[in-house]
Amino acid sequence: MPYHEFECSKVIPERKKHAVIKGPGDNATKALPLGYLNTIPGSISERGCAYCGAKHVIGTPMKDVIHISHGPVGCTYDTWQTKRYISDNDNFQLKYTFATDVKEKHIVFGAEKLLKQNIKEAFKAFPEIKRMTIYQTCATALIGDDIEAIAQEVMDELPEVDIFVCNSPGFAGPSQSGGHHKINIAWINQKVGTLEPEITSDYVINYVGEYNIQGDQEVMQDFFKRMGIQVLSTFTGNGKYDDLRCMHRAHLNVLECARSAEYICDELRERYGIPRLDIDGFGFKALGDSLRKIGLFFGIEDRAEAIIAEETARWQPELDWYKARLQGKKVCLWPGGSKLWHWANAIQEEMGVKVVSVYTKFGHQGDMEKGVARCGEGALAIDDPNELEGLEALEMLKPDVIFTGKRPGEMAKKVNVPYLNAHAYHNGPYKGFEGWVRFARDIYNAVYSPIHKLSLIDISKDEISTEQRFQTRRMLSDTNLPGDVTDSTELREYTGTYDPIADLRKKTYPGFPRAEAGAVEVIAE
Amino acid sequence: MATHTPKNMAERKYQKIYASDPLAEANPDMQEKVGQLEKYIMKNCLWQFNSRGWDRRKQNAGILGKTTLLLCDEPVDVSTRQEKCYWVDAVCLDRAYRERFSWIKALAKDDIKALMKLLHARMDWLTIDGSLNVELTVVNY
Repeated sequence: MPYHEFECSKVIPERKKHAVIKGPGDNATKALPLGYLNTIPGSISERGCAYCGAKHVIGTPMKDVIHISHGPVGCTYDTWQTKRYISDNDNFQLKYTFATDVKEKHIVFGAEKLLKQNIKEAFKAFPEIKRMTIYQTCATALIGDDIEAIAQEVMDELPEVDIFVCNSPGFAGPSQSGGHHKINIAWINQKVGTLEPEITSDYVINYVGEYNIQGDQEVMQDFFKRMGIQVLSTFTGNGKYDDLRCMHRAHLNVLECARSAEYICDELRERYGIPRLDIDGFGFKALGDSLRKIGLFFGIEDRAEAIIAEETARWQPELDWYKARLQGKKVCLWPGGSKLWHWANAIQEEMGVKVVSVYTKFGHQGDMEKGVARCGEGALAIDDPNELEGLEALEMLKPDVIFTGKRPGEMAKKVNVPYLNAHAYHNGPYKGFEGWVRFARDIYNAVYSPIHKLSLIDISKDEISTEQRFQTRRMLSDTNLPGDVTDSTELREYTGTYDPIADLRKKTYPGFPRAEAGAVEVIAE
Repeated sequence: MATHTPKNMAERKYQKIYASDPLAEANPDMQEKVGQLEKYIMKNCLWQFNSRGWDRRKQNAGILGKTTLLLCDEPVDVSTRQEKCYWVDAVCLDRAYRERFSWIKALAKDDIKALMKLLHARMDWLTIDGSLNVELTVVNY
């Protein structure tokens, strides 16, 4: 096994099995780090907790819901507004967050009464909202508050409301991934099948594992609507609580982030016979193949092909403009979980960069199987790294840019490595054909922006050159490019708008006539 | 609360099929060809990486089985939603193989079947029986 031992972690020998360097011909039978284990004492992890994974990643993107944390107010602060899962209802779920504000006296005497009071106050403050999620935290789990019983009491008193209880305190797993798991299973056990939907199309999907970061869900939903597909529910970005109660009526589960949401897809497949189709919304080829597969499933491949042709013609020249300028740039692909495999191959093939390292904070070995398979030889794969290991890897690999979260991102900036936010994005959305170009533009600006050189200057003492007062694109990225690239009349830089989502929200779609009863192919479940 | 008890517990406690890499003893030409087909799957597909071993077994059999039939221009069962879901991944794989590996179109049907059988065995080895992923044998989702 080609394990990699960091110098800084020699005092924590258990860490050695959490990093590998992919050698020639290596695969998951030869090179696979350990994963999804408790963080080793002495290693300061960058992980979140299971409460955070349940609430912050999966629960809170639901848009028409009061989300309450039953615990100290700090738990809520740490899961509020740190990720851009926007929604088309004026971002209710981002603007408002709720906590029961548990204090010492509640730990001694119990906090159930406080919880009930909070629930009723919240519904009273927002009378138009009739749905609620409640999240257990460490403190209230340890004192044994019975949240389900309180929620049921309120539902009995206020029959127009519906409440979902998520029992995933911070300690309920090695990382946020434990919370993803718990809320998946809790939702299908408590809520799926409790409401019947209106079916408006012959082609009905659940879009699962999609959180509408800067509008990703709305970009993908646009493609589905153009194909005449009904998105019955989105789990959970920009999703409605009641739509998600109807998941059992979809014909197909289209799964994006398998790391956070494969559990509910697998359960829907087993309990309701709804197949799971894994897709990639990132990258021209992967996205095109994904739309094609959904089209094939429903017998409407021509609609998918029309979209692929139109979008490719519009955006390929812009993607290729950036690809020409990003050739060989070294990337550390260090996201939380799924993006290490969503992006690893696509950014190399379609943007010309080289992935020199993948890591995951909370991924499982299954994520590393995909990531190691999709990156090239010599790549360093790290599970649950600590900050010192991250620094050592940057020193060793000398990447041109790093895609990661805020905590390691700040660390990278200190050693002058440009950083792009892999979780909340810089100038997303990154899904869709246009989104992929926006990502390429952000990478280009991260790699070439003169700000990084300027940041090395100590203006209190260093000499500042007065000879070169400005730098242009031609000086920064085009000096070594061949003439057919620099003089191309076809290639061009990004020409989209600042906010592509605003136009999508105003868009109307053509109606597709539904098949006559009996004319649709009968498929056994 | 609608809890669920799995009915397929025996299937979930599956037995390994391969104790070693089935590709290791193939001739060099076969190794080269299977290697090309395998690399395409590993770089571009996700279906082979369901989280549990028993599901990976079904995915590999369903999709590679249907891809074999498509490559041989033989009829494919799409009578259930699950079969149809296997079929859509198989269609994309069939098209990619024909487009990228022109040699596959020159093979006789029996040769295609032998090649795909070995690819299937290799994928089972890589993703299930030989994989170092310890979560594959967990019996719950």
